[in-house]
Amino acid sequence: MFDALWQPFAEFAFMRRALFGGIALASSAAPLGVFLILRRMSLIGDAVAHGILPGTALAFLCFGLSLPLLVLGGLTAGLGMALLAAWVSRRTGLREEASLAAIYPISLAGGVLLLSLAEQKIDLLHLLFGSALAVDAHTLTAMLAVAGLSLALLALIYRALLLDTLDPLFLRSVSRLGPLVHGLFLSLVVLNLVIGFHAIGALMVVGLMLLPAVAARFWSRHLPSLLLLAALLAAACVWLGLLLSYYANLPSGPCIVLLAGAAYLFSVLFGPVHGLCRTPALPHPT
Amino acid sequence: MIRCHALQWGPAGRPLTPPLSLELAAGSLTGIIGHNGCGKSSLLKVLAGLQPPLSGRLEVRCQRPGGSALLPQQQGFDRQFPLRLRELVASGLWRSQQPRATRQRQLEQALAQWQISALAEQPLAELSGGQLQRALLARLELCDAELLLLDEPEAALDADGQTLLWQRVHAWQAQGRTVLVVSHGLSHLSTRLDNALLLSAHGCVYAPLNQLRSQPHYQVA
Repeated sequence: MFDALWQPFAEFAFMRRALFGGIALASSAAPLGVFLILRRMSLIGDAVAHGILPGTALAFLCFGLSLPLLVLGGLTAGLGMALLAAWVSRRTGLREEASLAAIYPISLAGGVLLLSLAEQKIDLLHLLFGSALAVDAHTLTAMLAVAGLSLALLALIYRALLLDTLDPLFLRSVSRLGPLVHGLFLSLVVLNLVIGFHAIGALMVVGLMLLPAVAARFWSRHLPSLLLLAALLAAACVWLGLLLSYYANLPSGPCIVLLAGAAYLFSVLFGPVHGLCRTPALPHPT
Repeated sequence: MIRCHALQWGPAGRPLTPPLSLELAAGSLTGIIGHNGCGKSSLLKVLAGLQPPLSGRLEVRCQRPGGSALLPQQQGFDRQFPLRLRELVASGLWRSQQPRATRQRQLEQALAQWQISALAEQPLAELSGGQLQRALLARLELCDAELLLLDEPEAALDADGQTLLWQRVHAWQAQGRTVLVVSHGLSHLSTRLDNALLLSAHGCVYAPLNQLRSQPHYQVA
């Protein structure tokens, strides 16, 4: 029985690569997702994922099927979209989610238009939903590097990011780090989404980033536990999702995200923090 | 401490008052009063350097750079944030260069001063408005600023809390810090402080509080 949980990974190198890359990505993307939700910026994941589309399409039109250039194109466009949205809302006071909602259809329409110019030479579905089982050695290295960099940077800016999220006005009065931290954080989000796009698919990575983060909210009221919980949950979903896709012969990206979705629904129902089926313990005034 | 000349502030292109020229000495305690929307909160933000003035000159002279601290109003504060009261208060030590043990002692002291030591491990979501206000005041205390800008600090505080607040305000003043308090509760302000700045669209008046009563635009609360 327990053999079945390891056997595919022991037997096939491609499964091992997908597992290591996926778990690394999960453990850096999910904590970023927790901060996205706390900043009320959950929509930015979607906006960036769609922003990646025109960038990749443009790179394909100009340079053909070269993976580093496709990633670079996606990175530039995704980052550009996220920073444009942040800049507009910082300068004009437009709510960040409104500014993202404005950018997201622009990117999607632009991307689809560009892809239609490329006359279907690039598979739209593959780009959006990826294939976890196509993680080659280069992709794995890139995923590990991005995950390590993200976790290190997140640890470095943790306190400032926390304060910028909770009380940006206060941070502004004691330090000039606010805009820098905001920009760094957005860059990390985009980097994680882009590096995941050709392994797990642009739209699937958003699920891996946000679903465990939302689910964790039902289990703890303490930020460090939330971050850890979201990362563990995301990693578990990657592992079980890959197994499910292996044994049931299903595409892996949707398997992973649907498992995360199941964890989310379970948390909504049974989580101790405002879960639907939990009645809070009666208070004991002391 | 504060010197402004022909200062105007407010939303872009729409100054809220005629130009204000004023000097406030270090160690002074000043009330700011006026109608809703007359620019009290915006003036505090301008003084704190968080919002640029529309015109005029402003000089805030502090010994250290960034020596001012602002207590904003509570609206817009995310009460659902997964953080404990202790961590919120501790963020006031952001700029502190003290060793860890000193900071820890200062934190415990501030919690005790505002009588919230027992709530230190509570998540923000479980605090009442008044408890949160005490936490924000404790954080302000830890900022160790020379210029303290309080925007309606009495909001949500009970009678005990208000007494405590004014004790601390007078203690800060005694330490030589400059304090500005935006307040609505005019009737009892007169017993708490001497001078006030009355803001209105028709003109700003800085005078002892008992003289302000004769001003035509005084009827604000």
